[in-house]
Amino acid sequence: MMNLTEDVITLQVPASAEYIDLVRLTLYGLSVKMGFSYEEIEDMKVAVSEACNNAVLYAYGDLNAGEAAQAPTPPPRIEVRFVKRDDALSIVVKDDGRSFDAAVAARKAAPVNGKSIDELQAGGLGLYLMQALMDDVEVNSDMGTEVVLTKRLVKSGDM
Amino acid sequence: MKQNDKLFVRTENQTGKCIVYIGGELDLESAVQMRAVMSPLIELTDRELVLNLRELRYVDSTGIGILVSVLKARHAKEAPFSVEAVPPHIRKLFDMTGITPFLLKQA
Repeated sequence: MMNLTEDVITLQVPASAEYIDLVRLTLYGLSVKMGFSYEEIEDMKVAVSEACNNAVLYAYGDLNAGEAAQAPTPPPRIEVRFVKRDDALSIVVKDDGRSFDAAVAARKAAPVNGKSIDELQAGGLGLYLMQALMDDVEVNSDMGTEVVLTKRLVKSGDM
Repeated sequence: MKQNDKLFVRTENQTGKCIVYIGGELDLESAVQMRAVMSPLIELTDRELVLNLRELRYVDSTGIGILVSVLKARHAKEAPFSVEAVPPHIRKLFDMTGITPFLLKQA
């Protein structure tokens, strides 16, 4: 029987690198409560951080990771919405900053298999990791960017 | 150097070898510290550079990007670089991104 219970937990943080671990902690608390495995939680932590990393980097323009930036006013924020269902967790990461070109990013999202060291790229792995670590990834770029990351919950006994 | 609680770095110099023990979380926030630590070490071309990740609890594409940068810089200088004691969930990310064969010494 289909159960449509859905709870939403919303967290809003400044679009700054120092708050991404807070998003991970919240995700950890919720996903433990829901019964996800250690490995699934680790996967989700990375995927959600990647979405937040992009939000932080793009909110301040095209910065290199960790580069100092002057914050525009008003300070950009990231909204993280955890949508808890009986059979899945969706995490919606939304920024109000500039949209990044999801289509371009998706084309660049690839692992480095079979390349030589000279061909390795230090960037561009974020979206690839999100896709590899989650069951479903949706990127909507309209007013800012919204990334929807979904992990299905397989409870023991359901198999 | 500013010591961030989030990322712990300890450097051990042995004959012909520099081992950097990295613990904690290597993410967008601690990336600045990690780059600052690695930048002088990349120049030590007279010895092997080894990153020990035993105590590393978290890494994402930011950290992987730094590892790739170090790898490329060391390769350009023809100086040895490798990563050891990779925890399983971090090894999984290295495997997914395809960098494992470049970082780990063949066992």
